[in-house]
Amino acid sequence: MADFEAAAMPHLADLYRSASFLVHNSLDAEDLVQEVYLEAWKSFHRFAMGTNCRAWLFRIMFHRLHHLRRRLVKTSKVEAFACPLDEDMHMAVPQVPQDIRDDDILSALERVPLEFREVVLMADVEDFSYKEIAAILKIPLGTVMSRLSRGRRLLREGLADVARTYGIRPGSESGGESA
Amino acid sequence: MSTINFGSKQCERIRGQLDAYLSNELLVETTGEVAKHLASCAACSRELESLMRVRDALRDAVGKKLPPEHLSAAVRARIKSARPAFFPFLQAAPAWAIALASIAFVILAGVAGQQWLKVRSGRQMIAAVLTLGVSDHLHCAIRAHNYPEVAHLPDELSKKLGPRYAGLLPVVEAKLPGFQILEAHICSVPGSPRKYVHFIARGRGTILSVILTRRAGESLPAGRFLVASTSGGVDLYDATLEGMGVVGFETTDYLGFVVSDLGRDEMVQLTSPLVPPLCDALNARTESGALPPPQSLSS
Repeated sequence: MADFEAAAMPHLADLYRSASFLVHNSLDAEDLVQEVYLEAWKSFHRFAMGTNCRAWLFRIMFHRLHHLRRRLVKTSKVEAFACPLDEDMHMAVPQVPQDIRDDDILSALERVPLEFREVVLMADVEDFSYKEIAAILKIPLGTVMSRLSRGRRLLREGLADVARTYGIRPGSESGGESA
Repeated sequence: MSTINFGSKQCERIRGQLDAYLSNELLVETTGEVAKHLASCAACSRELESLMRVRDALRDAVGKKLPPEHLSAAVRARIKSARPAFFPFLQAAPAWAIALASIAFVILAGVAGQQWLKVRSGRQMIAAVLTLGVSDHLHCAIRAHNYPEVAHLPDELSKKLGPRYAGLLPVVEAKLPGFQILEAHICSVPGSPRKYVHFIARGRGTILSVILTRRAGESLPAGRFLVASTSGGVDLYDATLEGMGVVGFETTDYLGFVVSDLGRDEMVQLTSPLVPPLCDALNARTESGALPPPQSLSS
């Protein structure tokens, strides 16, 4: 128990933080984190001490989350986005406000489908490497890269939409210049 | 939404690498190439700045989401209330595998239970039969001490056995090395009409009886969990009854016993070479009609 306490408990806040933006509400996030820790404790004999416990806990969390998601209503399917990435890349870059409020970015984050949102959270908030994210989410490295790129773009689009809703004038964003 | 008009092919290529650049996932040389381009391209720099601004805002906003104070205590309580992982492999196994294993266990337990009952019943039957030999050994050899300190001469023993059983004497003598035949006779136990052909031998610091009696409906049960050993195609059964080690066997018409206070394993070892020739002799004599039924045997 002492080993588990020392290796796993320091990461509780990180898990809760990400869980909060992957499930519907705070209570669900608390339940999910408790389930993750219970599962981790039961299978702690399989954890190799000295390896990345934080990544291991996140892997357990996504394993459980994906399992639950498969059982629930299938929402936010990737297939819903018919626009291929290459084509998407050539569309105009959404304009982002200079001052981004917490509520606005979190509201935009909610609009990002889960498949992309989880990669953005793992890369931009939890600072995992592409390789670690691939292991945590059990997806190929190339999928991590494409989902991150697409997720960041969707986040910026969502942010621009939120800004427009509140009549905020976006900052200057453009393409087309080069030295 | 309008289409981006990249200023050059280089901008287009650099834009494709900005995400990896932001995540510090590019190779060193590619990172240098991107940095060099950014230093001289305002549009791509603004694109990177936009990406960074959104990432930093996201990190700040999400980072403010702190767990409720009670969560760590709740996690610890949940872990404590869970039962320890006595069988970790079960927790890793899918539910269907556990269900299948449970069904298999129930079936096996049922079969094993039936087998156990069969063995238990079989052992009771064996004990009931082997008691015949132990009773005669205790009554005649041990309590009544019906043997001399100096062995009778073989002729005397043959006379006591009579012509019908005298032929068994050389077999018993030859197949019990280390034992001396002190006595051989026909006897019975008080209260029972059953007659016994009884050889009493001394060796290994103890008294040993080889006893034969005609079957009167008794039978030793079959079953691989019941048979102690097999010698020359004859099944040997063993037991410890009233402090005596006894090995039993059966022919078509006779039951045979070897009894002493030696251990069961030693008794089986000692008896194995004796039983096949003894059975052969008994069967031969039965076929020739030399052995009368027990009721006609006289003490």
